[in-house]
Formats: sequence, C-alpha cells, structure tokens
Amino acid sequence: MNLFLALVVAVLFGTGATLLLKPDLFRVVVGVVLIANAASLTLIASGLQRGQAPIQPFIEGEPVSDPLTQAMTLTALIIGFAVTALLLAMVHRVYTTHRSVDLDDLASSERTAVEELERGIPVEHDEAEDHAEDQVSR
Amino acid sequence: MSLLVAPLALLWPAAAVAVLADGRRRATGWGAVAVLAVAVVVLAALALRVAADGPVEVVAGGWPADVGIRLRADALGVVLALVSVVVVLAALVHGVVSGLSPRLFPALMLFLSVGLTGLFLTGDVFSFYVFFELAMISAYALSALGGEGRMVSSALIFAVVNLLGSFLFLIATAALYRATGTLEMLAVADRARGIDPNTAVVIAVLYFVAFGVKLGLFPFHFWLPSVYGSALPAVTAVLAGALANIGAYGLLRFEAGLLPRELALGGGVLVGIGTASIIYGAVQAIGRRDAREVLAYSAIGHAGYVLVALGIGGPVALAAAALFTVINALGKALLFLAVDLRGPLVSGAFAVGAFSVAGVPPFAGFFGKAALFEAGVEAGSIPAVALLFVGGALTFVYLFQIYQHTYWRPGQDHQPAPAGARVVVAAVAAVVLLVGLWPEPLLALSSQAGEALTRMAS
Repeated sequence: MNLFLALVVAVLFGTGATLLLKPDLFRVVVGVVLIANAASLTLIASGLQRGQAPIQPFIEGEPVSDPLTQAMTLTALIIGFAVTALLLAMVHRVYTTHRSVDLDDLASSERTAVEELERGIPVEHDEAEDHAEDQVSR
Repeated sequence: MSLLVAPLALLWPAAAVAVLADGRRRATGWGAVAVLAVAVVVLAALALRVAADGPVEVVAGGWPADVGIRLRADALGVVLALVSVVVVLAALVHGVVSGLSPRLFPALMLFLSVGLTGLFLTGDVFSFYVFFELAMISAYALSALGGEGRMVSSALIFAVVNLLGSFLFLIATAALYRATGTLEMLAVADRARGIDPNTAVVIAVLYFVAFGVKLGLFPFHFWLPSVYGSALPAVTAVLAGALANIGAYGLLRFEAGLLPRELALGGGVLVGIGTASIIYGAVQAIGRRDAREVLAYSAIGHAGYVLVALGIGGPVALAAAALFTVINALGKALLFLAVDLRGPLVSGAFAVGAFSVAGVPPFAGFFGKAALFEAGVEAGSIPAVALLFVGGALTFVYLFQIYQHTYWRPGQDHQPAPAGARVVVAAVAAVVLLVGLWPEPLLALSSQAGEALTRMAS
C-alpha cells in the first residue's frame, strides 16, 4: 500500500513539476494543484495506523486509522483550494492586462520595460546636468 | 497566559471585519492602524514577560497538554512576532497616510499580521503551517494589489515559487509526523534523536529548501528582485521586513531547534551557500541602477549572513542569527519605506537605515554585525570574519551609491512626499537609532533565544 501511494505521489509531483516549467500560465496553475494534491496524499499516507474509520462507535478489536493525518489533510485541501482560487484570479488579471497568458510574451514585455528603465535613468541624468550647465552659462 | 492569546483574538476578528469594510475610506485604514497598535503593545508586554519569566504557554481548548494544540511564546518567537508586527504597522500607517488605498489593503495587512503572530507563537508544527499559509496568501494578494501588468505577473511568479516551497514544507511535515509520531515541537525535538538518520537528513533538506525559498537565499532567490522591484512601497517593506523573518525563523526553529544533528552535518554546506548568497547579492546590488532593485539584491545578500551563522552553530552563533534577523528586518523595512519618498526628513532617515544595514555604530545594525563577528571569532573561523568584513564594506558601497543617486543628484523636481509618510519613516529611523543606543533588551532576548534553541536540541 505504501509503495503504491509513494508511486502515485511521485507521478503527481513529477507531472506537477513538469507543468510548472511550462510557459503557459494555466498549465503552471494546474502544476501547482497537482503538487498540492501530492502533498495531501503524502499526509494521508503518513498516518501511523490504518483501519476502520475513526468515527464512533468503533468495532471492538479492530485497529482505527489515524484521525490526525486526516484532519491535517482536510486543512491542507482547503488551503490548496483557496490558493488555486487566488492563482486563477491572478492569471485572469494578467490576461486582462496583457491579453496573453504566455510567460514568454510577458517576459518580452517586461524586458522592454526594463530596457526603458535602464535607458531612462542616464538620459534623465544628462538632461538634468545639461540644464544645470545651461543655467550656469546663462 | 491570556497575553499570549490576546493578539490573535484581537487581530483575527478585526481582519474579518476589515474585509467587509471599504478599505478605500480613511476610517477603515485608521481603524486597522489602531488595532495593530494595540497588538504591538500586547506583544511588547508579552516580550517583557518572556524576558523576565521564560517561555509562556497555553494549551488551546482546555485539553490536556499532550493532546491539545499548544501556543508557546519563547524569546525567539516573541521577538520576531513583535518586530514583524511593528514593521506591518509602520507599513500600514505609511500606506494609509500616503493615500494608498486599494480596497483590501488594510484587511490583508491585518490577516498578514494574524498569520505572522500565530506562526511565531505556535508550538505545533501543523498549526505553524496553517498560520504560515495565512501570512503567505495575504502576501501574494498584497503583492498584486493596485496591479498594473508587470506587478501582477511578478506577484504570480512569487506565489507559484513560494507555494512550491510551502508544499515541500507540508511533505516534510508529513514525514516528520510519520517518523516521530507527534507534531508538538518540544516532543518532536525530543524524539527526533531516535529516528533513522537517512529519514532525518531528507526531512532536514526539505525544510531547508522550503525556508530557503521564503528567505530568498542565493540558489532560490530568482523570484525576489522582480517582486521587490514592482510591488507597492508599503508592501515591499512588509515583504522584506516581516515576511522574510519567516524564513529565518523557520531555519532557526526547524533546523537548529528540531534537527540539530542534521544541521551540524550540513554546517559546511550552509556556510558555503551563505557565502555564495552574500557575495552574489552584494555584487549584483553594486551593478544595479534602480534603487529598489539594489535593495532587493541586498536582501538576498543579507539572508546569507543568517545562513553562515546557522552553519557555524552553537548558542552564540544562533543568538547572533536571531539578533541579526530582527535588526536587519527593521533596517530593510526602513530603507524600502524611505526609498521612494522625497523631501525633508527622508534622506536623513534613509541614511540612518543605510548606516544600520551596513553595520556602523551607534545604529542598530552594528550590534547584529558585532554578534556575527563574535560568533565567527568564537568558532575560530578566519574566512567567516573576513567574509563579514568584505560583505559589510560592499553593503556600504552600494547603499551610499543609491543615497548619492537619489538624494544628491541636482535638478530633480520631485514633489515632497506627504508629511505623514515622512513622519512614519522618521519614526522607524528613530526606532532603529533607539535600538542602537539601548540594545540591552534585544541582546538579552536574543541570547536567551540562542540558549533555548541549543537546550531544545540537546
């Protein structure tokens, strides 16, 4: 059982990590979701004991599965859900401003912005100095 | 006891109410400021109590001590909680008086401070994760606030990279629970001695990566400059001055406190990564023009000092790491708040911050650097001492490069910033100066923290 869970977690995490490296932002979000689920599954798998559901009344003499990891997983799932919603909202905002969800497009527009910034500072500097010199010469 | 619960009981409902209120109105902003100010006072009282009587504990819901979730304030946690909330307060006031008012700004700042207070004051590994996510999610949303395009896309990268770190933390926590059978930090520290060394090393490495990402250490830093460069000034100050503390605290608590043998095993590696971080941050910072970007790379460099101290190990070095984190948080917050402002008081405040971060007496930063020096000397490590010296000199160079570029360049006709924002910056500068002139309480608390961490471990 543990080996099976470990394999599933490995596949989920691996797929998620691959998707994280894609330029398409939706794939990135799906990658995060898959990794979140890999973490939840790891939490479930880390239970100290397996057996019947930890809900009263118990059947005498049978082991009860660890309720703590289940509570933790539930919390982690909720957090994962909130995070997914936030990420999708951000992707939507990126789409409405850039009309694109492709990181390569975004990077090229950012590069232009940085270039403008780098160009802008010395130019502004020179102008200021020229201005000062003008005033001195007058 | 009630002092420990009070900040959370106060901030959490206030945050929930602030979500419903309209943050664009001044009244909401000032209400949030008032609540945070009360929280700061309560945390300061708690810090005094911890300094006098040692750790304060409370078990939630009246459960027996081993069953219920435990809140626990020790020297390390309470100092970092206090400093983080002070930074959030300063940034919030700065945001409110400079008329910065996206609708959710006050509410998110309050949620962020709930998360920060909770994670520094919890004694339970999983509730640490919950508070930590609360703080991080507020930070993701804050860094996208008021969003033009570039800001949102860098906030998105920030969120994705840090989420990956969070899930690694969760996986490490699952492994730790499986190996030790408990989530209570003190019990984990006790039982971690008995677990299989291979498992322990994997857990320690996972925690290191998770917190290295938060702290923005050298190989995990790539998200940091773009977020610090594009978010609103108040938000950047919070990211650098409050959120980065999580990384440092996590490394101290989880590596030095819970898994000290694995930390000692990796000491050399940590010093190596720390050194790379310091050099990389400083060299990149010197090469940059944009003041915010310089400060962002400076944050990467200064994260390295914490790591070097952690690699050296022992109570003196751990106390130095804690002290340096606190003081650096204040200095960074001051610089990020001041850097976009113009007008009287601001350049003086910026200079105070720059001197402090570079480690010049009588400013607070001197004591952080001095403690690190002491740790290096005590460990007899000449490279560490040389590194601190070189790092300090480089810091001085790039900070005064910015100072010269921004405040001494003639012919700039920037409007002076609103008086309120300038007063906030001056007040933070006064705090930095005060801590520098009267460092005893902080020194006492940080050495208490260093000893507590080593005691937890032994």
